[in-house]
Amino acid sequence: MVVGDVTTSTDVLVIGAGPGGYVAAIRAAQLGLDVTLVEKGAYGGACLNRGCIPSKALLNGSDLASEAGQAEELGIYADPTVALDEMMSWKDGIVDQLTSGIEQLCTAAGVNLLKGTAEFAAENKIRIVHQGEGQGSESLKFDHCIIATGSRPIEIPGFDFDDEPIVSSAGALNFETVPAELVIVGAGYIGMELATVYSRLGSDVSVIETLEQALPGYQEDVASIVRQRAARLGVDFHFGYTADSWAESDGEAVLTAVPADEAAHDSDIELTADKILVAVGRRPVTDTLGIEAAGVETDAQGFIPTDSRCRTNKEHIFAVGDVAGEPMLAHKGSKEGEVAAEVIAGEPAAVDYRALPAAVFTDPEIGTVGLTEHEAANEGITPVTGEFQFQASGRALTANRTEGFVRIVAAKETERVIGAQIVGPEASELIAEIAAMIEMGAKLQDIGSTVHTHPTLSEAVMEAAQNARGKAIHRQN
Amino acid sequence: MVREFELPDVGEGVAEGELLRWRVAPGDAVSEDQPVAEVETDKAVVDVPSPVDGVVEELRAAEGETVPVGDVIIVFRVEGEDEPDGTETPADDATADSGHQTDDEAPTQPAEETQSEPAVTQHVQVAASPSVRRLARELGVDISSIADSSPGRITESDVRAYANTDSHSSTQAQSNQRTAAAKQQKQQATSTQSVSPVQARKTADRETTVAVPKTRHVAAEEGVDLDNIPTDERKDGEPFVTLEAVREYAEAQQQAQKKDQEAVAERAAADEPARPESRTPYNGIRQTIGAAMTESKYTAPHVTHQDEVDVTALVDARSTLRQEAEEHDIRLTYMPFVMKACAAALQENPQVNISLDEANEEIVEKEYYNIGVATATDAGLLVPVVEDVDAKGLLEVASETNEKTQRARERSLSPEEMRGGTFTISNIGGIGGEYGTPIINQPESAILALGEIKKKPRVVEADGEETIEPRHVMTLSLSFDHRVLDGADAARFTNSIQKYLRNPNLLLLE
Repeated sequence: MVVGDVTTSTDVLVIGAGPGGYVAAIRAAQLGLDVTLVEKGAYGGACLNRGCIPSKALLNGSDLASEAGQAEELGIYADPTVALDEMMSWKDGIVDQLTSGIEQLCTAAGVNLLKGTAEFAAENKIRIVHQGEGQGSESLKFDHCIIATGSRPIEIPGFDFDDEPIVSSAGALNFETVPAELVIVGAGYIGMELATVYSRLGSDVSVIETLEQALPGYQEDVASIVRQRAARLGVDFHFGYTADSWAESDGEAVLTAVPADEAAHDSDIELTADKILVAVGRRPVTDTLGIEAAGVETDAQGFIPTDSRCRTNKEHIFAVGDVAGEPMLAHKGSKEGEVAAEVIAGEPAAVDYRALPAAVFTDPEIGTVGLTEHEAANEGITPVTGEFQFQASGRALTANRTEGFVRIVAAKETERVIGAQIVGPEASELIAEIAAMIEMGAKLQDIGSTVHTHPTLSEAVMEAAQNARGKAIHRQN
Repeated sequence: MVREFELPDVGEGVAEGELLRWRVAPGDAVSEDQPVAEVETDKAVVDVPSPVDGVVEELRAAEGETVPVGDVIIVFRVEGEDEPDGTETPADDATADSGHQTDDEAPTQPAEETQSEPAVTQHVQVAASPSVRRLARELGVDISSIADSSPGRITESDVRAYANTDSHSSTQAQSNQRTAAAKQQKQQATSTQSVSPVQARKTADRETTVAVPKTRHVAAEEGVDLDNIPTDERKDGEPFVTLEAVREYAEAQQQAQKKDQEAVAERAAADEPARPESRTPYNGIRQTIGAAMTESKYTAPHVTHQDEVDVTALVDARSTLRQEAEEHDIRLTYMPFVMKACAAALQENPQVNISLDEANEEIVEKEYYNIGVATATDAGLLVPVVEDVDAKGLLEVASETNEKTQRARERSLSPEEMRGGTFTISNIGGIGGEYGTPIINQPESAILALGEIKKKPRVVEADGEETIEPRHVMTLSLSFDHRVLDGADAARFTNSIQKYLRNPNLLLLE
């Protein structure tokens, strides 16, 4: 009864203010719960600060520069000069606007914001270490916890992220000048997006990839359109090589890559670089959380297994976003954040979206959702597909961007739409229509019979659906 | 090659599980990690993944069966001898297709990134919009079970109709409840349990029904709703109900109602003879008191500090003064002394004479001393307030207290006369008992309960000698709001009260 050290408590503790965490916090607060959100860095997480938003800003900036400089065909002659520092501060302005917006949204929703690094002390207790020497720490008891600590880039041996000259994707979004020679290790979507940015800004970009394909995980005909376009922008690809080491020589970094399979390539290669970007993937941030103290289990890769309600093995602890497993997509994290908050509030929420769209913002863009033809067959579904090439789209022609296609996959028997792959202009936007159709249980005819605006790229979606039924107008079926 | 697969330990140390549903049928090709069965343990419903790429040869357990961990539940034929292509099309196309019709699931991302997250990928082939799928969860219905019988698009009314007829719904709803917050649990339980036998009987609950005029007429006469009558027939794409169906349905309804009535009558007859008891409505003052007590008890963390005081001197003083008082027609009890003592103690301990203004997040310290006296009445507990006790003489306090407590018993106190107190005294001793835990009369932050004054042996020290003597002793139970007062505050305050009660002469100085 003697009041000594008062331990504060909260209904819901959210760790991490990225797109999973802040959405969870706001939704939980909307549902009348007392919510505390702990963030050790900037609000918005990797997405806003080191990922989606800054990279898309630079993609757009570099796109403008590149398009303006290559529009002779349209009768436009320009020789744009890029001041990268100005483009970077424009980008930083956007990031600042969005991160402060998140802080305001959280505050307005009544979320208690705490700055610091969280570490579990027990199943229901967390220690928050404040930043800065002598700032101390505090303990917080919680009824429920949502872990949304996200992920960080994977480092490879011999290539520490020290920014000089080795950088992670975060470093590559903050270059002060355009590197004359940029070597990118990894041809996944982060590597390919940044290859797009810097090749358009004038860097001499080389990409090393252990596998024999760019964008592993995407279908060959989708990935090859992006690879070919990148090659035309001047990107050099070295497939089947693994980055081994680097050394400094005459003020330049020289990277040595060794064949992944000696039967395929018999000699090492050396690449000179101003900057080396290592983009070989990301791993979940679960190792610094003291997660054992809470009794939460992780798998071999450090991911936290969760059920359809985003619950971990502990009834009262939830995990959302990158820490909860692949795919690492901001919108997946946000959706899971909502579900976790609603489950805590007693609502019958569950992660039961049927289609999770994904986009790659290369040139041209890729948008995918649901199953590929091959995956459908593996699932025992007899697939039927329909395609439409952007070459045949009036809108694509007038935009001078005719690479790529829309492909829709449906179950042959029921004609129900189960997936789509789009590569081409605005693929990231076009994919949303098909995601909605899959969610609603639509059939090919539902898309085909929906009147689409002319002249737009979305007509390609309608034509692809009609093609699957043998009824496309603007192509042979 | 044939591979037997035993039910694995699907949870932490779970010994058995109920096999809810097979998600594959013999002949189905399966790939590694593809869910093959749903098993419910006492902890959760989990998907059991296939350990191999292969073809389902045999299912060894039935749906609904409880299987011990370690029992073989499924036999796979794995790539080898008689399956040249392993995972290729199974022998019986039709079986495989119909199996996949409802059970298939699809990863929602590029294949190599696929995680085994059961519900993310479940029921991909069930055609229903997200709002309908959510409704199904709210009603505790497994939407894929509806899809088993309705190959088309599942609508809101399909789900509602199924929820009303499905016996699974209650178990499913219970598992929902486990995941819900406590209050929500209560609501859900109420809503699922309130499904009466009549409602649970098979009804259709459609939005539109086609029927000929005569059928409609008969339905109206029989008092049945056409939309509730099950039918497989359709006309112009709409559900169609015949005259026969109406008669059948009406008959079934009547029978069912009769059965229900009989069952109710039987239960009533079987009941024990009623025990004598009576009921009075919980309303009025009783309810108001109840609400106030509950509110106080559960907002202010109550802590009760208990002590006793030797009031032998007070007993003497009172018996002396009582005569004096009676000449003024005033009955002098101990209460006015305690009230004066409390007022004096509050002046000495201003930290107790406060209230917490939660709305404005302020602690309000009062510089006036209005003391409430908890008074038992026929209607319940009322608390008349005597204002400015510090400024009034003992007899004045006595007179006003007597007058107000009397009117409280007569229920003629105005509400104003029960407001504005800064501290309350409750006298449990009048009836008996030593210690109690009084509930704070909010917005005050403390309340004192007085025990009976009893003669007890006490050690008395006089002229350096200790003797045991019979003394008059009263107990004090002080409950305080631990949000704003600490134990030390309560102890100090109680010490002050004791000081005045032990030596009532001090009150003369007040």
